[in-house]
Amino acid sequence: MEAIEKVSTEVEKVITKFTAINEHSSKLIQNEINALEAIKTALQEQSSESEMLTPQQINLVKSTIARSKEKLHRLAVDHRDLHGTVSKVGKAIDRNFIMEYHQVVRQDLFKNEANIKLLDENIAQHFYRQGMNDVADSLVREANLKQEQINEDPFAELHKIFEDIHHRNLTTALAWTEKYSKELEAKNSTLEFKLHRLAFMQILKGGINSQNEAIAYARSNLSKFVVKFQKDFQVLMGCLLYLKVGLETSPYNYLLSDEMWIECADTFLKDSCNLLGINKESALSTILNAGCIALPALLNLKQVMMSRQVSAIWNELPIEIDVERYHSIFACPILRQQSTDENPPMRLKCGHVISKDALNKLSSASIMNNNHYRSSLKCPYCPSEMVANDAKQIYF
Amino acid sequence: MEIKSIEHPTLKVPYEVLNKKFRTTQKTLDKEISLLQTAATELEKGLDNSPSVGNITKLLDGVIERLNVLKRKAEESIENELKYANVCKKRLEHIKQNVTNTASLHKSPNMRMEEDDEHSNESQIAIAAANQWKKIRLNRLIVEHFLRLGYYDTAEILANRSGIRDITNIDIFQVSREVEKDLAQHNTTKCILWCIDNKSKLRKINSDIEFKLRQQEFIELIRKGERLNAVKHAQKFFPAFEQDQLHEIKKAMALLAFPIDTELEPYRSMFDIKRWEELLVNFRLENYRLFQIPTQSVLSVAVQTGISALKTPQCYSANSRNINCPVCQPQISEIAEKLPFSHCAQSRLICRVTKKPLNENNHPMVLPNGFVVGELAISLITDQDGNVVCPFTNEKWSNPKIEKVYVM
Repeated sequence: MEAIEKVSTEVEKVITKFTAINEHSSKLIQNEINALEAIKTALQEQSSESEMLTPQQINLVKSTIARSKEKLHRLAVDHRDLHGTVSKVGKAIDRNFIMEYHQVVRQDLFKNEANIKLLDENIAQHFYRQGMNDVADSLVREANLKQEQINEDPFAELHKIFEDIHHRNLTTALAWTEKYSKELEAKNSTLEFKLHRLAFMQILKGGINSQNEAIAYARSNLSKFVVKFQKDFQVLMGCLLYLKVGLETSPYNYLLSDEMWIECADTFLKDSCNLLGINKESALSTILNAGCIALPALLNLKQVMMSRQVSAIWNELPIEIDVERYHSIFACPILRQQSTDENPPMRLKCGHVISKDALNKLSSASIMNNNHYRSSLKCPYCPSEMVANDAKQIYF
Repeated sequence: MEIKSIEHPTLKVPYEVLNKKFRTTQKTLDKEISLLQTAATELEKGLDNSPSVGNITKLLDGVIERLNVLKRKAEESIENELKYANVCKKRLEHIKQNVTNTASLHKSPNMRMEEDDEHSNESQIAIAAANQWKKIRLNRLIVEHFLRLGYYDTAEILANRSGIRDITNIDIFQVSREVEKDLAQHNTTKCILWCIDNKSKLRKINSDIEFKLRQQEFIELIRKGERLNAVKHAQKFFPAFEQDQLHEIKKAMALLAFPIDTELEPYRSMFDIKRWEELLVNFRLENYRLFQIPTQSVLSVAVQTGISALKTPQCYSANSRNINCPVCQPQISEIAEKLPFSHCAQSRLICRVTKKPLNENNHPMVLPNGFVVGELAISLITDQDGNVVCPFTNEKWSNPKIEKVYVM
């Protein structure tokens, strides 16, 4: 905020001063024009073309002209003096905002054609996803991308269905769930039931006249949920009892509320994204938001690192960045390192977990110390002793 | 702090334009005023030599006319300066919005309970506003990124569509767009004009772009078989660069002796048509230097740091990929290959089944095959007959030994 304020102050100064000089200069020049015009008219009125000016008149013209010259000269000087004000804005920007990134990022990464393409493709994908096809198409054209390289983003379709549900239209959603019925079932999704329930309730809204239609709908579409959603199913059938008196006054009136639709739309987006393996947020925007958090932290560190002359490119970032994590991360409590495929977490017999590297170090250290042939070791966290082979690799 | 780190070009570019407008205004004023002085001196001479009413009124008219021109030009140029000062102001205001949003977010105590549905209206609106701002920021950064890559049409569509034209540098880069188009058609005219327009600044940053253009013009004359004209061209333009570019000049002059399809280096590559592309990139870079903005777009910088912040060894391990993780996406993971991993000294463990954190309330348990799930997940992966099914490998155990795991 402070940074913005500082630049703002300087910009305000520029605006004030230039507005002032603008008014001042127009007025000043106009005055000079007026003065000279007046002299000219006076001359024309007093004398004929060929007559000579009197010495007083000459003096008057001379002094007026001298004054104009002086004033305008000063105007130019005044304007030049404003340069300080202008350049202060630039200085304030440079002082309060950071423009050097080369210490914290690789310079060469996006000089590489292949990487530029990959990023372009990702941006195009991002726009397709948001339904901004005109932007994406134009990018594909200008960046010479191959359309095939960009996965047809299924999210755009999902997003449309999501909006349809919000607009009380279930047709597209039901068609979608029918297509993926098996997969949804395998994932224990409640989506299909929720959609049919909404459809059923929509029919019931028609009152007693739609009773037969509702029963028919339930028979053909809801019966398969009887086992899984027994309770809910009973509730739905219970609704039929209240058709005559009106559902609005029944204990089941909550089924008619708006929240049911909103919740269902949300379930749709969640389950469908999950099913198709896509993210609710585009990868690009997640990355960018994370990057905007990481960048200041790294820049902050840059100063420290420069003073200690640490090399700029790391294998691992020097600090932890607080962003949402998508993986279970096991950090070895001994080596303070994240586990990898080569260095996986190992569960000791006593239940404590350390990394494989740490385990190897411990067991070789104990061989050295005890001259044992068997590599026995002691858990670093509890008194148990064991042989290294007892430790088992685990998967978080 | 976020703002400090990423908004430099947003402000610096219009500032550089403002600064340039200041210089042109000063030049205009100086020029007009000196013309006026000349007219005034004429008048003074007239007063001394032949002070007839006719002559003097004519000379007076001359002065008045100059004054009128001055007035018009002064107003025009100062308005122009003000215009860009206001562009700066507008951008500052846009950036400020985010700070105010986040500030009101931190004030609201409900923020901590993100899971809670009972957000105060105010904080919900603030969250929405902050998200909206971030969305605009993404679009802004993409527009700037496009401008750098020369995707002007796409930048244009995006900026107009999302209504962010005046907070991006799209209009300021209009000139460079024209120049680039010209260069792409193997024309130097517009780029030369640009060089003249920015002469003093280019000299300050020690740019050799103008020489490169003249050299290319020379090469093109030879290509067209107009060797005599090429010599004339060289006589006219090369001496100005003698001091810094003597070596290049010599090389260029040697071209006169070679056929255009020569195989001999360096002359073969000097005749190469690809030089135009290099020239175009060269111009683009010089243009950034002129505006004092970094050669990498902020987007590409933030993408790098963002990938690193999210990148884990798990992203490259087949059995722990996460479809929601951006770095696990094939295209991104390819870019990410050369970037550092995120740092994590403290374990952050999540149950794969329930997606809930593993801690004292949801103790990590290991299945016989080594997969770890949370205590709360056990009942979910147990079927009616009491068999436990591994959700990852589909192995099935009746009454398995499920042991606790202690993570320090």
